[in-house]
Amino acid sequence: MELLKTKPGIHKSRGGLIRSFVFIENGKIKDITISGDFFLFPEEAVFKILENLKGTPAKREDLLRNIEDTYAKENIQSPGTEPSDFTESIMKALEA
Amino acid sequence: MKEWRFIDFGLVDIRDMMAMDEAILKGDEGNTFFFWTPKKSIILGFFQKAEVELDLPKCKDYTITRRISGGGIAFSDDRCRQINYGVVGTIDNDLFPLDIIESYKQVCGVLIDTLVHYGLNAAFRPINDVTVDNKKVSGNAQTRREGKLLQNGTLLLDFDIEEMLRISNIPKEKFLDKKIASVREGLTWLDRELGEQRDMEEVRNVMKEKFEERFHVKLKTGTLSNNEKELAESLLPKYYSTEWVYR
Repeated sequence: MELLKTKPGIHKSRGGLIRSFVFIENGKIKDITISGDFFLFPEEAVFKILENLKGTPAKREDLLRNIEDTYAKENIQSPGTEPSDFTESIMKALEA
Repeated sequence: MKEWRFIDFGLVDIRDMMAMDEAILKGDEGNTFFFWTPKKSIILGFFQKAEVELDLPKCKDYTITRRISGGGIAFSDDRCRQINYGVVGTIDNDLFPLDIIESYKQVCGVLIDTLVHYGLNAAFRPINDVTVDNKKVSGNAQTRREGKLLQNGTLLLDFDIEEMLRISNIPKEKFLDKKIASVREGLTWLDRELGEQRDMEEVRNVMKEKFEERFHVKLKTGTLSNNEKELAESLLPKYYSTEWVYR
Protein backbone atom coordinates (compact mmCIF):
# COMPACT_ATOMS: atom_id res chain seq x y z
CA MET A 1 0.00 0.00 0.00
CA GLU A 2 1.24 3.50 -0.82
CA LEU A 3 0.94 4.80 2.70
CA LEU A 4 1.93 8.37 2.13
CA LYS A 5 -0.75 8.75 -0.56
CA THR A 6 -3.47 7.26 1.67
CA LYS A 7 -5.23 9.46 4.17
CA PRO A 8 -4.95 7.89 7.61
CA GLY A 9 -7.60 7.63 10.27
CA ILE A 10 -6.03 8.97 13.45
CA HIS A 11 -7.35 8.14 16.88
CA LYS A 12 -5.67 8.50 20.26
CA SER A 13 -6.49 5.93 22.89
CA ARG A 14 -5.32 6.21 26.50
CA GLY A 15 -2.51 3.83 25.52
CA GLY A 16 -1.30 5.66 22.44
CA LEU A 17 -1.89 6.93 18.95
CA ILE A 18 -3.34 4.62 16.27
CA ARG A 19 -3.00 5.62 12.60
CA SER A 20 -4.95 3.40 10.21
CA PHE A 21 -4.50 3.18 6.46
CA VAL A 22 -7.43 1.37 4.90
CA PHE A 23 -8.20 0.29 1.35
CA ILE A 24 -11.81 -0.65 0.65
CA GLU A 25 -13.23 -2.69 -2.23
CA ASN A 26 -16.95 -3.47 -2.64
CA GLY A 27 -17.67 -2.30 0.90
CA LYS A 28 -15.13 -4.66 2.42
CA ILE A 29 -11.61 -4.15 3.73
CA LYS A 30 -9.18 -5.16 1.03
CA ASP A 31 -6.00 -4.03 2.76
CA ILE A 32 -5.15 -2.38 6.06
CA THR A 33 -2.02 -1.15 7.79
CA ILE A 34 -1.58 0.56 11.13
CA SER A 35 1.18 2.57 12.72
CA GLY A 36 1.20 3.71 16.32
CA ASP A 37 2.88 4.09 19.68
CA PHE A 38 0.44 1.91 21.63
CA PHE A 39 1.32 -1.31 23.48
CA LEU A 40 -0.10 -4.73 22.67
CA PHE A 41 0.95 -8.16 23.95
CA PRO A 42 1.90 -10.46 22.35
CA GLU A 43 3.19 -7.99 19.78
CA GLU A 44 3.00 -10.38 16.79
CA ALA A 45 -0.75 -10.70 17.31
CA VAL A 46 -1.20 -7.31 15.65
CA PHE A 47 -0.57 -9.07 12.32
CA LYS A 48 -3.42 -11.47 13.12
CA ILE A 49 -5.72 -8.52 13.82
CA LEU A 50 -4.88 -6.99 10.44
CA GLU A 51 -5.08 -10.28 8.54
CA ASN A 52 -8.46 -11.16 10.05
CA LEU A 53 -9.87 -7.74 9.16
CA LYS A 54 -9.34 -8.35 5.46
CA GLY A 55 -12.67 -9.17 3.83
CA THR A 56 -14.65 -7.73 6.75
CA PRO A 57 -17.51 -5.35 5.86
CA ALA A 58 -16.38 -1.79 6.51
CA LYS A 59 -19.01 -1.18 9.20
CA ARG A 60 -18.37 -0.31 12.82
CA GLU A 61 -20.14 -3.33 14.36
CA ASP A 62 -18.50 -5.82 11.99
CA LEU A 63 -15.05 -4.37 12.55
CA LEU A 64 -15.45 -4.30 16.33
CA ARG A 65 -16.72 -7.90 16.48
CA ASN A 66 -13.89 -9.06 14.24
CA ILE A 67 -11.21 -7.37 16.37
CA GLU A 68 -12.80 -8.62 19.60
CA ASP A 69 -12.72 -12.18 18.21
CA THR A 70 -9.00 -11.89 17.47
CA TYR A 71 -8.38 -10.44 20.94
CA ALA A 72 -10.08 -13.46 22.51
CA LYS A 73 -8.43 -16.03 20.25
CA GLU A 74 -4.91 -14.59 20.62
CA ASN A 75 -5.21 -13.66 24.31
CA ILE A 76 -4.33 -10.07 23.53
CA GLN A 77 -3.69 -7.51 26.26
CA SER A 78 -3.27 -3.86 25.32
CA PRO A 79 -3.18 -1.54 28.33
CA GLY A 80 -5.06 1.68 27.61
CA THR A 81 -6.20 0.53 24.16
CA GLU A 82 -9.41 -1.39 23.44
CA PRO A 83 -10.76 -3.09 20.30
CA SER A 84 -13.12 -0.10 20.07
CA ASP A 85 -10.08 2.21 19.73
CA PHE A 86 -8.82 0.31 16.68
CA THR A 87 -12.37 0.39 15.32
CA GLU A 88 -12.58 4.15 15.85
CA SER A 89 -9.26 4.69 14.05
CA ILE A 90 -10.46 2.59 11.07
CA MET A 91 -13.81 4.41 10.97
CA LYS A 92 -11.95 7.72 10.83
CA ALA A 93 -9.88 6.41 7.92
CA LEU A 94 -13.11 5.50 6.10
CA GLU A 95 -14.48 8.99 6.64
CA ALA A 96 -11.21 10.63 5.55
CA MET B 1 21.11 -10.30 50.07
CA LYS B 2 20.41 -11.54 46.54
CA GLU B 3 22.79 -10.45 43.80
CA TRP B 4 21.56 -9.44 40.36
CA ARG B 5 23.73 -8.77 37.36
CA PHE B 6 24.57 -5.23 36.32
CA ILE B 7 26.11 -4.22 32.97
CA ASP B 8 27.06 -0.78 31.63
CA PHE B 9 27.38 -1.09 27.86
CA GLY B 10 28.69 2.48 27.44
CA LEU B 11 28.43 4.27 24.08
CA VAL B 12 26.89 1.83 21.58
CA ASP B 13 25.44 1.50 18.11
CA ILE B 14 21.73 1.14 18.74
CA ARG B 15 21.38 -1.88 16.42
CA ASP B 16 24.01 -3.78 18.37
CA MET B 17 22.34 -2.73 21.62
CA MET B 18 18.88 -3.90 20.56
CA ALA B 19 20.35 -7.29 19.62
CA MET B 20 21.98 -7.57 23.07
CA ASP B 21 18.75 -6.34 24.70
CA GLU B 22 16.76 -9.16 23.07
CA ALA B 23 19.52 -11.65 23.85
CA ILE B 24 19.36 -10.81 27.57
CA LEU B 25 15.57 -11.33 27.54
CA LYS B 26 15.90 -14.66 25.71
CA GLY B 27 19.00 -15.79 27.56
CA ASP B 28 19.03 -17.51 30.90
CA GLU B 29 21.31 -15.40 33.07
CA GLY B 30 18.75 -14.21 35.59
CA ASN B 31 17.52 -10.77 36.51
CA THR B 32 19.68 -8.02 35.05
CA PHE B 33 19.83 -4.23 35.16
CA PHE B 34 21.81 -2.44 32.45
CA PHE B 35 22.69 0.96 31.03
CA TRP B 36 23.75 2.13 27.61
CA THR B 37 24.37 5.42 25.82
CA PRO B 38 23.11 5.44 22.24
CA LYS B 39 24.93 7.15 19.41
CA LYS B 40 22.80 9.47 17.27
CA SER B 41 19.81 7.29 16.51
CA ILE B 42 16.10 6.66 16.31
CA ILE B 43 14.42 3.53 17.62
CA LEU B 44 10.95 2.80 16.31
CA GLY B 45 8.39 1.07 18.49
CA PHE B 46 7.23 -2.37 17.29
CA PHE B 47 3.98 -1.01 15.81
CA GLN B 48 5.40 2.09 14.15
CA LYS B 49 6.02 2.48 10.45
CA ALA B 50 9.15 4.44 9.61
CA GLU B 51 7.64 6.26 6.63
CA VAL B 52 4.59 7.29 8.67
CA GLU B 53 6.27 8.38 11.89
CA LEU B 54 9.44 9.93 10.46
CA ASP B 55 10.29 12.52 7.83
CA LEU B 56 12.81 10.07 6.36
CA PRO B 57 14.74 12.43 4.05
CA LYS B 58 15.59 14.46 7.16
CA CYS B 59 16.81 11.41 9.08
CA LYS B 60 19.72 10.55 6.81
CA ASP B 61 22.42 11.01 9.45
CA TYR B 62 20.56 8.96 12.06
CA THR B 63 20.92 5.24 12.61
CA ILE B 64 17.37 3.85 12.60
CA THR B 65 16.24 0.55 14.00
CA ARG B 66 13.17 -1.02 15.57
CA ARG B 67 12.74 -2.63 18.97
CA ILE B 68 10.64 -5.64 19.96
CA SER B 69 8.42 -3.64 22.34
CA GLY B 70 5.65 -1.19 21.51
CA GLY B 71 5.48 2.52 22.30
CA GLY B 72 6.85 5.54 20.49
CA ILE B 73 10.12 6.59 18.88
CA ALA B 74 13.18 6.90 21.10
CA PHE B 75 15.30 9.67 19.68
CA SER B 76 18.93 10.32 20.65
CA ASP B 77 20.79 13.37 19.43
CA ASP B 78 24.48 14.27 19.38
CA ARG B 79 24.37 15.59 22.93
CA CYS B 80 24.05 12.05 24.32
CA ARG B 81 22.63 13.39 27.58
CA GLN B 82 20.16 10.58 28.10
CA ILE B 83 20.40 7.67 30.45
CA ASN B 84 19.05 4.56 28.78
CA TYR B 85 18.35 1.53 30.89
CA GLY B 86 17.07 -1.99 30.55
CA VAL B 87 15.67 -4.41 33.10
CA VAL B 88 15.09 -8.09 32.55
CA GLY B 89 13.17 -9.75 35.36
CA THR B 90 11.24 -12.92 36.05
CA ILE B 91 7.57 -12.06 36.57
CA ASP B 92 6.93 -13.19 40.15
CA ASN B 93 3.93 -11.06 41.11
CA ASP B 94 6.06 -9.45 43.79
CA LEU B 95 9.07 -7.53 42.49
CA PHE B 96 7.80 -7.85 38.93
CA PRO B 97 3.96 -7.84 38.99
CA LEU B 98 1.91 -9.79 36.48
CA ASP B 99 -0.32 -6.77 35.92
CA ILE B 100 1.31 -4.78 33.11
CA ILE B 101 0.70 -1.30 34.49
CA GLU B 102 1.73 -2.38 38.01
CA SER B 103 4.99 -3.73 36.63
CA TYR B 104 5.68 -0.49 34.75
CA LYS B 105 5.00 1.35 37.99
CA GLN B 106 7.43 -0.84 39.91
CA VAL B 107 10.35 -0.36 37.48
CA CYS B 108 9.53 3.32 36.90
CA GLY B 109 9.75 3.68 40.68
CA VAL B 110 13.54 3.55 40.29
CA LEU B 111 13.41 6.67 38.10
CA ILE B 112 10.96 8.40 40.44
CA ASP B 113 13.16 7.68 43.48
CA THR B 114 16.14 9.08 41.54
CA LEU B 115 14.30 12.28 40.62
CA VAL B 116 12.99 12.68 44.17
CA HIS B 117 16.62 12.34 45.35
CA TYR B 118 17.28 15.52 43.33
CA GLY B 119 14.35 17.26 45.01
CA LEU B 120 11.97 16.99 42.06
CA ASN B 121 8.23 16.36 42.14
CA ALA B 122 8.29 13.09 40.19
CA ALA B 123 5.35 10.77 39.59
CA PHE B 124 4.24 7.77 37.57
CA ARG B 125 1.74 8.53 34.82
CA PRO B 126 0.12 5.38 33.47
CA ILE B 127 0.68 3.67 31.15
CA ASN B 128 4.41 4.14 30.83
CA ASP B 129 5.61 7.66 31.63
CA VAL B 130 7.45 9.31 34.49
CA THR B 131 6.72 12.99 34.96
CA VAL B 132 8.08 15.97 36.86
CA ASP B 133 5.32 18.47 37.64
CA ASN B 134 3.19 16.65 35.06
CA LYS B 135 5.77 16.97 32.27
CA LYS B 136 7.19 13.81 30.74
CA VAL B 137 10.83 13.26 31.68
CA SER B 138 11.07 9.54 30.90
CA GLY B 139 9.46 7.16 28.41
CA ASN B 140 9.43 3.42 28.99
CA ALA B 141 8.55 0.36 26.93
CA GLN B 142 7.95 -3.19 28.01
CA THR B 143 7.65 -6.56 26.37
CA ARG B 144 7.18 -10.01 27.85
CA ARG B 145 8.29 -13.46 26.90
CA GLU B 146 8.01 -16.81 28.63
CA GLY B 147 7.45 -15.50 32.13
CA LYS B 148 10.00 -12.71 31.88
CA LEU B 149 9.70 -9.03 31.17
CA LEU B 150 12.07 -6.65 29.45
CA GLN B 151 11.65 -2.97 30.15
CA ASN B 152 13.66 -0.31 28.36
CA GLY B 153 13.48 3.35 29.12
CA THR B 154 15.21 6.65 29.01
CA LEU B 155 15.77 9.44 31.51
CA LEU B 156 16.26 12.76 29.75
CA LEU B 157 19.06 14.92 31.12
CA ASP B 158 18.87 17.17 28.07
CA PHE B 159 16.63 17.07 25.01
CA ASP B 160 16.43 18.85 21.66
CA ILE B 161 12.71 19.25 21.05
CA GLU B 162 13.15 21.23 17.83
CA GLU B 163 15.27 18.46 16.32
CA MET B 164 12.73 15.81 17.29
CA LEU B 165 9.94 17.83 15.68
CA ARG B 166 12.07 18.40 12.58
CA ILE B 167 12.53 14.70 11.91
CA SER B 168 9.19 13.27 13.02
CA ASN B 169 5.60 13.48 11.79
CA ILE B 170 3.65 14.07 14.96
CA PRO B 171 -0.02 14.61 14.09
CA LYS B 172 -2.05 17.27 15.82
CA GLU B 173 -4.17 14.53 17.40
CA LYS B 174 -1.23 13.64 19.66
CA PHE B 175 -1.61 17.00 21.39
CA LEU B 176 -4.59 19.16 21.97
CA ASP B 177 -3.29 22.52 20.85
CA LYS B 178 -0.48 23.71 18.59
CA LYS B 179 2.32 21.23 18.02
CA ILE B 180 5.39 23.06 19.22
CA ALA B 181 3.72 24.76 22.17
CA SER B 182 2.27 21.54 23.52
CA VAL B 183 5.39 19.44 23.06
CA ARG B 184 7.33 22.14 24.91
CA GLU B 185 4.76 22.13 27.66
CA GLY B 186 4.57 18.37 27.79
CA LEU B 187 8.26 17.45 28.06
CA THR B 188 11.07 18.29 30.40
CA TRP B 189 14.54 17.08 31.34
CA LEU B 190 16.79 16.99 34.36
CA ASP B 191 19.19 19.80 33.36
CA ARG B 192 16.27 22.15 32.87
CA GLU B 193 14.54 21.18 36.10
CA LEU B 194 17.73 21.54 38.16
CA GLY B 195 19.04 24.60 36.33
CA GLU B 196 22.46 22.95 36.05
CA GLN B 197 24.15 19.97 34.42
CA ARG B 198 24.74 16.95 36.61
CA ASP B 199 27.48 14.49 35.87
CA MET B 200 25.85 11.55 34.05
CA GLU B 201 27.88 9.00 35.94
CA GLU B 202 26.66 10.50 39.20
CA VAL B 203 23.01 10.24 38.08
CA ARG B 204 23.55 6.66 36.91
CA ASN B 205 25.03 5.79 40.31
CA VAL B 206 22.01 7.27 42.07
CA MET B 207 19.79 5.16 39.80
CA LYS B 208 21.76 2.04 40.67
CA GLU B 209 21.40 2.76 44.39
CA LYS B 210 17.67 3.39 44.03
CA PHE B 211 17.34 0.18 42.04
CA GLU B 212 19.06 -1.81 44.80
CA GLU B 213 16.83 -0.21 47.44
CA ARG B 214 13.61 -0.79 45.52
CA PHE B 215 14.34 -4.39 44.59
CA HIS B 216 16.21 -5.28 47.81
CA VAL B 217 19.15 -6.66 45.86
CA LYS B 218 22.84 -6.01 45.42
CA LEU B 219 23.90 -5.25 41.84
CA LYS B 220 27.05 -7.07 40.81
CA THR B 221 28.86 -5.91 37.70
CA GLY B 222 28.99 -8.64 35.07
CA THR B 223 29.12 -9.21 31.33
CA LEU B 224 27.11 -11.07 28.71
CA SER B 225 27.50 -14.83 28.86
CA ASN B 226 28.85 -16.69 25.85
CA ASN B 227 25.36 -17.94 25.15
CA GLU B 228 23.98 -14.39 25.16
CA LYS B 229 26.82 -13.19 22.94
CA GLU B 230 26.03 -15.92 20.39
CA LEU B 231 22.33 -15.09 20.63
CA ALA B 232 23.04 -11.38 20.12
CA GLU B 233 25.28 -12.20 17.16
CA SER B 234 22.50 -14.24 15.56
CA LEU B 235 19.99 -11.40 16.12
CA LEU B 236 22.21 -8.68 14.64
CA PRO B 237 21.18 -9.16 10.98
CA LYS B 238 17.55 -8.46 11.94
CA TYR B 239 18.34 -5.12 13.56
CA TYR B 240 20.44 -4.08 10.56
CA SER B 241 17.87 -5.24 7.97
CA THR B 242 15.55 -3.12 5.84
CA GLU B 243 12.84 -5.80 6.23
CA TRP B 244 12.71 -5.28 10.02
CA VAL B 245 13.25 -1.53 10.18
CA TYR B 246 11.16 -0.41 7.20
CA ARG B 247 8.50 -3.11 7.21
